[in-house]
Amino acid sequence: MSGTKGATFLGLAKAEASLLTRSALVLAGLPAGALVIWFFNRSGMPLWWEASWLLGGGQLILGMAVLAAAQLATWRARRNAMADLYASFPATAATRTLAHLAGLLGAVPASLLLAGAATALVQARGAVGAPSIPVLADGLLLVIAAGAAGVAIGTVFPHPLAGVLGALALLLSSEWSHMVSGAAIWLSPWETGQDQLAGLPGPLVGYPPVGPHALELAGLAVLAGVVALAVTVRRLRAWGALTAAGVIAVAAICFAGALQLRPIPAAGLDRLVSEVADPASVQSCTTAANQVSYCLYPGFGSLLPSLEAPVSAVLAHLPAGGARGARGARPTTPLTVSQVVLLSAPDPNLTYGHPAREVSGWDARLERAPGNLSATPGSAIYLPVGNWPAGGGQLADAQFSLAVATAEWAVHLPGTSDTRTTTGGFLQCVPLDQAREAIAIWLAILATHPPTAELRGGLGNSAGFTGSVVRGTFVPGWNYPGTDGGYVTPPGGGAVTTAAGYLLASAMTSLPEQQVSHVLAGAWSRWLNWRTTDAQLAAALGIRMPSSPTPPPGPINGPQNPLCT
Amino acid sequence: MTLSVSTAAVRADRLSRRYGATRALDQVDLTLDRGITGLLGPNGAGKTTLLSILATVNEPDAGQVGVFGLDPRQAADRVDIRRRLGYLPQELGYHRHFTVAGFLDYVAILKEITDRRRRAAEVTRVLAAIGLEDRARTRIRALSGGMRQRLGIAQALLGQPELLILDEPTAGLDPEQRLRFRELLSSLPADPVIVLSTHQADDIAAICPKVIVLLQGRVRFAGTPAELASTADGQVWAADQRDARAHLSWRGGDNRWRHVGERPPAGAEMVAPTVEDGYLLLSHAAGER
Repeated sequence: MSGTKGATFLGLAKAEASLLTRSALVLAGLPAGALVIWFFNRSGMPLWWEASWLLGGGQLILGMAVLAAAQLATWRARRNAMADLYASFPATAATRTLAHLAGLLGAVPASLLLAGAATALVQARGAVGAPSIPVLADGLLLVIAAGAAGVAIGTVFPHPLAGVLGALALLLSSEWSHMVSGAAIWLSPWETGQDQLAGLPGPLVGYPPVGPHALELAGLAVLAGVVALAVTVRRLRAWGALTAAGVIAVAAICFAGALQLRPIPAAGLDRLVSEVADPASVQSCTTAANQVSYCLYPGFGSLLPSLEAPVSAVLAHLPAGGARGARGARPTTPLTVSQVVLLSAPDPNLTYGHPAREVSGWDARLERAPGNLSATPGSAIYLPVGNWPAGGGQLADAQFSLAVATAEWAVHLPGTSDTRTTTGGFLQCVPLDQAREAIAIWLAILATHPPTAELRGGLGNSAGFTGSVVRGTFVPGWNYPGTDGGYVTPPGGGAVTTAAGYLLASAMTSLPEQQVSHVLAGAWSRWLNWRTTDAQLAAALGIRMPSSPTPPPGPINGPQNPLCT
Repeated sequence: MTLSVSTAAVRADRLSRRYGATRALDQVDLTLDRGITGLLGPNGAGKTTLLSILATVNEPDAGQVGVFGLDPRQAADRVDIRRRLGYLPQELGYHRHFTVAGFLDYVAILKEITDRRRRAAEVTRVLAAIGLEDRARTRIRALSGGMRQRLGIAQALLGQPELLILDEPTAGLDPEQRLRFRELLSSLPADPVIVLSTHQADDIAAICPKVIVLLQGRVRFAGTPAELASTADGQVWAADQRDARAHLSWRGGDNRWRHVGERPPAGAEMVAPTVEDGYLLLSHAAGER
């Protein structure tokens, strides 16, 4: 390129970059991308090894906007009936196309701004770990590659809808990851939500395959540029260079694809399995003043205050004194609240490509992991990694779930029975007409004060009625706030909560706490006996037994749940 | 017909161009020297095709063009021609979201005016020349049709081109703007080669030392406006009544009929012909009307 042509190219590239930076589409893509990032990160405690990748979801939206803007810019001369005028300029179509490609640097400020703002926001929400710069750089590459695709579309398909369709295709190409599993999910420009990143206790080396994915995106950007230039270049020598660049780009894409399809390194997976099966090997345990131990994976220490609050509050409301002396009604078995990873093998996202024997070995070790239902002891509450919220209403729900689990431990309510399901798991038991259930719920309500409307919402209505079947009888259930959040596993420590239990607990909250505590402390052992009924507790408290919802008529189907004993 | 001199700045030899079954240009020969040449012709006569070929935008099916001794068929020559060219196409769209100054700056880059200060000076100069200085920051979508046309002229003037090709530049201009346009073209420095097509015979008469009449893809006349007018000598007459022998008749401001035709009646009151009269007679002879 001669001096004049080079200077023209640079001048045009600067002008196009400036236009792209100020493009209404790109400016609109910023808040849209930010909205998507917020959506992806709105609930759980952000984990940087996942959040860094989720930020790319926002970059994907920005990339769509850049694609559409680049398509419109490339097509500008023809769109505005200026093709003849442009053809009379010494700057050739190839120079203009090259300038459009270089002008994609104009999208960099928007991408950096989005990444920077999102990083600050996620960090402010108390993210665990550290942001991954390579993953964030991949997001920037995604935006550039999308823009290059826009330039290619603009030169090949000069139509108003072509850019929009291209942007939609980009979105769909990322959504298609739902239709595949294993390493194939990384072949789309940006995978959203099919990985296991959220459930990992820390970063996993080689997962996601950041470097190879960067190579793929760079290859796609170059290939799109080659296609765009191929339409405008006339000279034979330039065609030769373009062909060479195209071949290299295709080779790079194929090579990157092959790298991404490789199994995750076995050493990394082996370490992960060890950390999951034997959390004690890596977790730090803190015993609080209330003698409860909190065992957390490295980096999760910031969760401690939000875990301690509901547990301590439940323990503080346990009836004091009585027959158990100084320790009051507290069980003698110590309580441990610990994080677990819900992982099993084979896992389509993690163990693909490994020999079956190796996977079986991991599976055997994972079956002994504390998060496994079959191994749940009564003195432990498990919190699946990645499910604990960072704040807001969901944190309140999670804390209520933890309060219920703590209270169930305090009233000796078992989570599971010895009855196995057909798939080998253990069935949750139902505390049918057991006073201790109402006491547990009462304690949880006193500890966390959830809104009454939210509590009552769990009773069901004409649109839906939950429950379980015990000894051939339908027992109306109660879905307390956070039941479906998976904050505690098994939910609520394990026992199914009944509508009758909640209604009695709700009636108990209308009485002065001191009065209830007095009644409970006077015969604590009796109240914990599974044979003591709701009616007996109501009578002791001097309240009328609330009426339970009427179960729907018709045949009763579904598995039989065992009674908690 | 040829105005041929071997040193002509622009020359076209036996240019032909077809669009399907339509013959837009049919063996057109012409030469253009420095100064303003007016191109007259009805719609469909081939003016726009001819100008787009001279502007290196289109290629002829046959024949050849030389511009400042350069051959536009050669890629390097073509770029050299474009570096010396200012072109206003007939129906120019605009990037409506650009500002006036932003658009001119962008076009200046496309014209390889890469030095920022020189570019800014050029933009200021052409804005002043077409009287849009106070609209520099206005978005193009907010301009009137006449202002947009002036902006089109301004972009053609960027870089002080040696060859200025203007396809109907006065379309959409009000009388005052047309007068300013004439003044502008007459005062351009460095005496460029200017060729402009128009339907306005009075524009031609006012500012063009040379005029070419293109009819049905062929050059039917090339000469001065006075020579074009003189082709109608003895074929324009005035009368109180309409004369059926005239090809064209219209009543003037003095309420008398002006007739243009090849056979005036004996004793008719002859009138001095204008460029328009000459053009009308040529058109009629070519079967255009």
